[in-house]
Order: sequence, then structure tokens, then C-alpha cells
Amino acid sequence: MRWWCSAQSIAWDWTWRPYIGVWILVALMAAGYVWLSRAETDARTDATNGRGWLFWLGLFLFWAALDWPLGALGGGYLASAHMLQFLLVGLVAPVLLELGLPASAFARLAGRPAALRVVRFLTNPLMALIIFNSVLVITHHPRIIDAWMPTQLGSFGIDALWFFAGLVFWWPVVCPVPERPRFPDLARMGYLFGNTIIAGFLALILVFADLPVYGVYELAPPTGWLTSREDQQIAGILMKVGGALILWTAMSVIFFRWYRRENPEPDVTSAGPPPSHAGARG
Amino acid sequence: MRRAVRAALALAAVGGGGCDAGPERGTEDGVAPPVVRAEPVVGTVMPAAGAAAEFVLADTHGRPYDFLEETRGSVAMLFFGFTNCPDVCPVHLANLAAVLDQLPSRISRQVTVVFVTVDPERDTPERVREWLDGFDRDFVGLIGDAERVHDIQLGLGLPPAVVRRDGEGAVDVGHASHVMVFSRERDRRWVYPFGTRQSDWARDIPRLVEGVPTATAEES
Repeated sequence: MRWWCSAQSIAWDWTWRPYIGVWILVALMAAGYVWLSRAETDARTDATNGRGWLFWLGLFLFWAALDWPLGALGGGYLASAHMLQFLLVGLVAPVLLELGLPASAFARLAGRPAALRVVRFLTNPLMALIIFNSVLVITHHPRIIDAWMPTQLGSFGIDALWFFAGLVFWWPVVCPVPERPRFPDLARMGYLFGNTIIAGFLALILVFADLPVYGVYELAPPTGWLTSREDQQIAGILMKVGGALILWTAMSVIFFRWYRRENPEPDVTSAGPPPSHAGARG
Repeated sequence: MRRAVRAALALAAVGGGGCDAGPERGTEDGVAPPVVRAEPVVGTVMPAAGAAAEFVLADTHGRPYDFLEETRGSVAMLFFGFTNCPDVCPVHLANLAAVLDQLPSRISRQVTVVFVTVDPERDTPERVREWLDGFDRDFVGLIGDAERVHDIQLGLGLPPAVVRRDGEGAVDVGHASHVMVFSRERDRRWVYPFGTRQSDWARDIPRLVEGVPTATAEES
């Protein structure tokens, strides 16, 4: 049994094979969440403001991205599956996990000044932007992919970098620490938009390259579904469209919340009839 | 990494003057000889095949196919494999098909890809044709009896394929994963290992077709 997915030169088949490292990691995250939630329940407070389901959804997607079959396909057969893994591990799961964690998890940081300083440094919007995009470029560089994906440790390293970068990236947007002033809405939208630019360039390279970029997928045992070029083009489209969909969805949510806050609806229950009504039939 | 090292070695060999008559080297009468620069290729140079390449097998239409005669004037790419191969064979052929599809037709039409099955018991002519058509309809498929194919591989310096069948019908095939490339003049040949990328083929095929002198790390 293998502990993490990686490229193997064996023909693809649909035989189920779990990755023990993924299961252990997911179990630890679930156990940590339950422990934090119980601490909150003792204090008779709503642990997650009703958003605990987001954590479980995020954890499920994290597991689905890394375990068989998507983990195996992305590990060594299809660049498109690898890109789907990136979207789930690096973009979708982190924001759901951050939104779903109980407030106490973040409040604990306030009591640890050294940890808070590190978190503040890493999640400064400019630093987060640099970290996320650096990880994006490095982990999609052909030499890194071709050198790291054939080993379990290398493949784990890429997944770990994606997840770390995703947590850092979403932090200024979600801003789960009450002690830290919230990043202004318009700036958050600009920050999200800024993070679509480099990913867009990378996606275009994948879509329009004449030849396969990644040797590990070009030379992988074929699944019979796609040519290596089609696979790479789908990977590029996923990065462009999938990534943009996630970030633009977040931008839309922020925009409409900001709009509602700036333009509150009048409270019709306390107001009397309009003056024109009073004398209209008089 | 190994390919990069080989390319670097080949480049070093070229740069070191092993295969390069550089322009700074004048002759006694002061006229510089024409520059003939050897280009590095991924393939490893092998001795000319000689009579070993003179073989006739049946093509997928049942007609005799004289390898030397039929591929005369083109760069021939010869590969021994089997249609049930889950990895090496389809990857090699898919990569060749993809690159030939992208190269200018003046280059690609001077390349003949010939596939010889090492598993004639399962690979019927119809099966081979259908499988090759999935890559490129111009690929040639050849079928011969196992002993003849064994001898051809030996003669060409390739390890002959081994086909093992157990009592339950499972078939295990081991075969050379190289593509053997013959120059148009048949005076040179190269072997390209599994792991040759489309980018390698896209760079090397025009050089091989145009007869550019080539160098490999092995020559340095």
C-alpha cells in the first residue's frame, strides 16, 4: 500500500487503492475539528456561527482530491486531473476549512503573540499574494512536476505547498481573526482579481503549447480517454475557467455584501403609510 | 536529467571541435571550408544495419512488405511491440503521430513509421490495422511468424521480445522499448529509447530527414 499518490509506470485500471497518508491526515483534521467544537459547546456558544458544514465539505473535497481515483489519476496519468486537484486542494478546500472552523480556533492565536506575528506576516495581503503566486508558478513548472511527481514524498510536497498557499491566500479575504482589522471590501476584490493574472498566463501556456509541457503525463501509460495534448489543454482550461470561477464567485459575494451594507433596504414594518396615500382619496 | 546531461555532453563535443569545422579554422590558401555543424540528437548512433534490415513481412492487408524497398528514400522508424501493450507502445506511437501531424508535410511525408508485432498470435492483421489507425492511418503494420521476427530483432541488435503464456491464458510480453531510426540513405541508424519526448522528436525528425550531420553523447 502506498501512503501518497505519485506517478507510477503501470497501466491505469479501476482497482481501488487507498492512500494511507491521506486518510491519516484527514482523520487528524477531523479529530482536531471535533475537539475544537466540543470546547466551544461546553461554553454554550455557537462554535461556527452555523457554518460548521463548510468545514466538513472542505474536508471531504480535500480527501476526494487526494485519494483514489482523482489522486491516482492526477499523480501520474492526467495533467487535467492534476489541475483539478490543484483547484480543490489549493483553492476550494482552504477557504471552506477557514470559514467552517470555530472562532475559538482563531481566538487561541491571540494568546500566542509569537504565532500571531508569524501569521500576520504570512497573511499580509501583499505577502499572501507573493506566496500564493510563487507556489503556483513553482509547482506548475515542468522541471518541478517531472522531478517531484514520480515520488510519494515529492507528490506530497506539491500537495502540501498548494494547501499551505491556499490557506495563506484566503486568510486576508476570510480574515478569521477578530483581533485583526478586516481587509476593506474593495481591496479584497482587487486582491482576488490580482490573483487571477498569473494563473491566467500559465493557463494560456498550457492551452496553446504545441507540445506537451509535462513529461510525466506525456509518457504516462495512456488511459485511453485523451491524447496528451488534449489532456494538457483541458488542464489549461480548468486552470483558467475553474480558477476564475472560484475567485469571481468570491468577488461577487464580497461585492453584493458590500453593496447591501452601503445601500440598506428601508425598514417597512415600522414606517407608516406614505403621505400621498393618506390624502389620495380624500 | 540524464537527457540533459547527454545533451550537454553532445553540445560539449560539438563545441570542442570533435565534429565541427569552425569558421576560424582557415585553410592554407586562406579560404575557409564550409561549416558543417553536427547537431545533437537524442538517439544513440548504431552501426549501419547492413543485411539485417533486409527483411520481408506481411503488411496488414496481407501483402508482402519489403522493408528496405518500401521505405526507400524516407527516414524509416521501426518499432517492435504489441497491440495489447499498456504503456510503452501506445506512448511511442502516440508521440510520433502527434509530432508528425504538426511537422510541415514536406518533412512528415518523408518519414515512414513501421510497427512490427512481436505477439502475432493475438495481433491479427485486422487488429493491428485498427490499433494503428487510432494513431495514424499512414503507419505501417507488419506481421510475421514469431521465429522470423525474433531473428530480425537479433540481427538489428535489439533484444528479442519474450512472450510468456501461463496456463490460465494470461500473456506476459517483454520487448525492446526502442524506436530504431534509419537514415534515408540507410548508411546510419539511431535508437531512440522510451522516454523520448515529443519535443525531442519535433527537433530531431527534421534534422534526420534533411540529413543534417548528427552527434550524440556516445560519439563524444
